[in-house]
Amino acid sequence: MKRLLKNPFVLLMMAALLMIAVACSDDSSSEGSSDDSGDNSGEAASEGEGLSGTLEIQYFVGGYGDSWWKEVIGDFQEKHPDLEIVEHAGPNINEEMRSRWVSGDPPDVVYIDGAGSSETQMVEDGQLMDLTDWVKDIEVDGKPLMDSFIVPPSDFDGSVYSLPLVFDAWGTWYDKAWFEENNWEVPSDFESFMNSMGQIKEDAGISPFVTTGQHPYYFLRGMLYPAFGAAGGDELLNDVITGAEGAWTSDAVLEVMKKVEKMQQEGYIDEGFAAINHTQSQMNFLLHDNAYIPVGFWLPNEMEGDKPEDLEYGFIPSPMNDASDPMPIVPDMRPLAIAEQAENPEAAKAFVEFVFTKEYAKSFSEHTGAIMNLQGVDLSSNENVPQYLIDANEMINDPEQVQIYHKPHPMSADLETPISDSLVSLMLGNITAEEFVQEAEQAAEEYRNSQ
Amino acid sequence: MVQSKKQKYLFLAFCLVPTFIMFSIFTLYPLFSGLYYSFFEMSGSSQAKEFVGFDNYIQLFNDEIFPATIWHDYFLVITKVIGIMIMAMFIAVALTQLKIKEAPFYRIIFFFPNIMSVVVIGILWAFIYNPDLGLVNSGLEFIGLGEWTRAWLGNENWALASLVLPSIWAGIGLFMLLLMGGIANISKSYYEAARIDGANEWQQFWKVTLPLVWPQIKISILYIVITTLNGSFIIVQVMTGGGPNNATHVMGSYLYQQAFQQYNFGYGATIGVMILVISLITVLILQLLLRRDKVEY
Repeated sequence: MKRLLKNPFVLLMMAALLMIAVACSDDSSSEGSSDDSGDNSGEAASEGEGLSGTLEIQYFVGGYGDSWWKEVIGDFQEKHPDLEIVEHAGPNINEEMRSRWVSGDPPDVVYIDGAGSSETQMVEDGQLMDLTDWVKDIEVDGKPLMDSFIVPPSDFDGSVYSLPLVFDAWGTWYDKAWFEENNWEVPSDFESFMNSMGQIKEDAGISPFVTTGQHPYYFLRGMLYPAFGAAGGDELLNDVITGAEGAWTSDAVLEVMKKVEKMQQEGYIDEGFAAINHTQSQMNFLLHDNAYIPVGFWLPNEMEGDKPEDLEYGFIPSPMNDASDPMPIVPDMRPLAIAEQAENPEAAKAFVEFVFTKEYAKSFSEHTGAIMNLQGVDLSSNENVPQYLIDANEMINDPEQVQIYHKPHPMSADLETPISDSLVSLMLGNITAEEFVQEAEQAAEEYRNSQ
Repeated sequence: MVQSKKQKYLFLAFCLVPTFIMFSIFTLYPLFSGLYYSFFEMSGSSQAKEFVGFDNYIQLFNDEIFPATIWHDYFLVITKVIGIMIMAMFIAVALTQLKIKEAPFYRIIFFFPNIMSVVVIGILWAFIYNPDLGLVNSGLEFIGLGEWTRAWLGNENWALASLVLPSIWAGIGLFMLLLMGGIANISKSYYEAARIDGANEWQQFWKVTLPLVWPQIKISILYIVITTLNGSFIIVQVMTGGGPNNATHVMGSYLYQQAFQQYNFGYGATIGVMILVISLITVLILQLLLRRDKVEY
């Protein structure tokens, strides 16, 4: 042994191994606790005025673009010239920032949207600040913020961890001008939807309905959630999203899935849907290869550069309801949150408060063609807001036409993924509605057991 | 000048230590980290983790999708090995033995896909398979086989098979060059002797060319197997995302889905460990199967 230790080669190798072990070991002392977060906030003056230090903001740039964010952040910077604002933005920002979140060094403010982000997961991982008490004192134009939302924040066992910023609603899009030209009826319930698709198939020789099979949640959220809302109200919607026992095999769900099966059997769903991604399906819609597509409010903004000149966007809540019921809408909120380990929580809170104003809600609709989650924002006379949004906004606010259903929180990816897989099979005609509900119930059972 | 023992060891250390450090950081550390994390339940998006012992392994053995992903991987391995080796050998023999004047041009053409990113290849072939605008369906319609058209990547029965063609297309060039190098090293005198003995071209191929390029064939097969088991994830992810209904998931893409889309990082690490074990077993079996004495004439 002694001889071995005298060998300089062996010594060098041991030194190298030691260096690696030190370099690769967990640096537990660098794990910051939320108690440390006050360090930087000390630089911030009271009540958010004259903030200083650094404020890091992470936001996903997708179909809504980033011009609104630039305006808001620019205004906030002007108000707090001593504050250094660092933006982390882009279409892949959730992936790019993942290592920061994992290492306990997250940005201060995060807009939760896009692939690779999950509000539910972030709450489960304890990454978001509990805003329950703080938000009670926030006001918008003299009214408590909590009473000003169109849709209240997600409820995680009575706690609020994020504030719903964007009122996204999935619905069914059609080309208004094309429909008028061909005298096609715009549906208001499932029966008229089927009649309309039959007519379009006959007249234009196309499969009228398209969606993306590579991201089946477009159909799940855009068509099925509203259908479940219409069939069983908030209760059924809550049960299917949380995977409650027996929810997926209930008569109401089976009835909805029978409708989907019927759409497939009649040949109304584009046979190629399973092969295409969301952009390709949207292109097919713009090119009149199909007439209906379920997407959120972001569609016109996302496809801005590809829109044929004569196409006129029309938006209706997905017509999965029976004739006697109002059309169902299930809002899909995109929230703004503060990291639990934010280094500048005062500036983060000031920014979040700064964003929720009617002025920025109006500007949001102008920039993005979508709605910010604040009540009492009049878009009807705003010339900078697209017509489809004015129509949709009017429709959504008319309870006789449209019924809004609320989901408790987004569905967990562990449940959504297997259900989406079976859904593609159903829409391809490879399984029946009965087989689908059995598979979905099994997925729900596995999900429950894993909790 | 006589080199002292100390100088010799210093020189050896100078050569080996940096490599060993790099190998340890970029190979050993991730490998053992993966093994370590496979015993935890964690989302991968925070530091929170809970020790669960062998629960992830038990879950893996009860997972209905995982066995299918192994089959998909081996389907790609087998079809790629057969497709690439036949095509690469055919082209290599043609370009070296048939005295084609434009051989250098064809060599560049066949090698071209190898310098393209797999992501680009995946996107390109996704367009080729596009049900409405793609070359495949348009070509079938053009030659009167319209009833054969289908959504290739959206069909549960055809999607996996449709991934074979781009994988072969992307892989031929490298192995063609490898085999061409082997064939070029065969002395012309062997062929002359075979010809004098009355062997035709076919017999020359089987009795002279094939045995003498066996080392290159063996390396090629091993390389295709290893890269397919570890790398087919990219083409699957780009072209189908594992769908429809998991019909094209390979072990790598399933790992990605579990670890980064469903936030089951610990379970993803368990799948990673299984990929390592399966790859090692496969390579060992292949080594045994391909064992053949080196032929020298």
